Amino acid sequence: MATLDALLGLPGAMAAFEFRGSGELLDHRIAYPDRINPTLLDLLAHMCAANLSIATLQARGWEQLTAMRGFYPVQAFTLIGFDWSVVVSGLNRERHKQSGQVSSLPPFLGVVMANERADYEAAFALLEGPEALP
Amino acid sequence: MSGMIRRLLALEGVNVVCQFRDDGSFVVGYGRMSQEDMVQMARFAHDYRRMAQGNADQLAIFSGMRGWTPPRGWIVRGGAQSLCGVGNLVCMVDSQGAPLNEILLELREVSHW
Repeated sequence: MATLDALLGLPGAMAAFEFRGSGELLDHRIAYPDRINPTLLDLLAHMCAANLSIATLQARGWEQLTAMRGFYPVQAFTLIGFDWSVVVSGLNRERHKQSGQVSSLPPFLGVVMANERADYEAAFALLEGPEALP
Repeated sequence: MSGMIRRLLALEGVNVVCQFRDDGSFVVGYGRMSQEDMVQMARFAHDYRRMAQGNADQLAIFSGMRGWTPPRGWIVRGGAQSLCGVGNLVCMVDSQGAPLNEILLELREVSHW
């Protein structure tokens, strides 16, 4: 599983966290406690859950409107802020759903990175790689 | 400007690129998609940008942490296709194999023109 500690090893990583689909923060690691605290991560997790929900609505609507495929289900969301970015993924949950394990879905995973060093490809590779499988 | 936007299509994995105005109206688009769908995609990107920006604003207010706003961009990633938005530009890219870091850098550069 892509652990929080592994996510914290990404270039520019400032914090890593797990959260439910409702946005509830479950676990976290913080590399820079002078800048990030659990309260911020809790708010961030709720913001990411909201953004994923709206993106899912739009992906669903887009696929019905255009008959294009490949957007739904939304697997990940990234916000590139002015100085910081957050990348969150629910791919592990989708894998569980596809395998019929819907009773105990794993949490969403996320990482906060400083933009000046952020490597989005590395973040997605870690969040979505085979090692992210349970 | 249109040449700069078209340049984005040369990047591996980029399938469509659109520019829109601040009100969401379509300006120009290139790639493998009908113009009708590009107009819709521009509208979608504009709406999502506004929503993401509003949520980032609230995060900044509630947390007191500087550095989140104004947001520079966003990515919504599906299994096969992703949307990357920076400023008034949006790209549809392959979720796998596309050089995302390079695409974001180019989007940022072109969006400043």
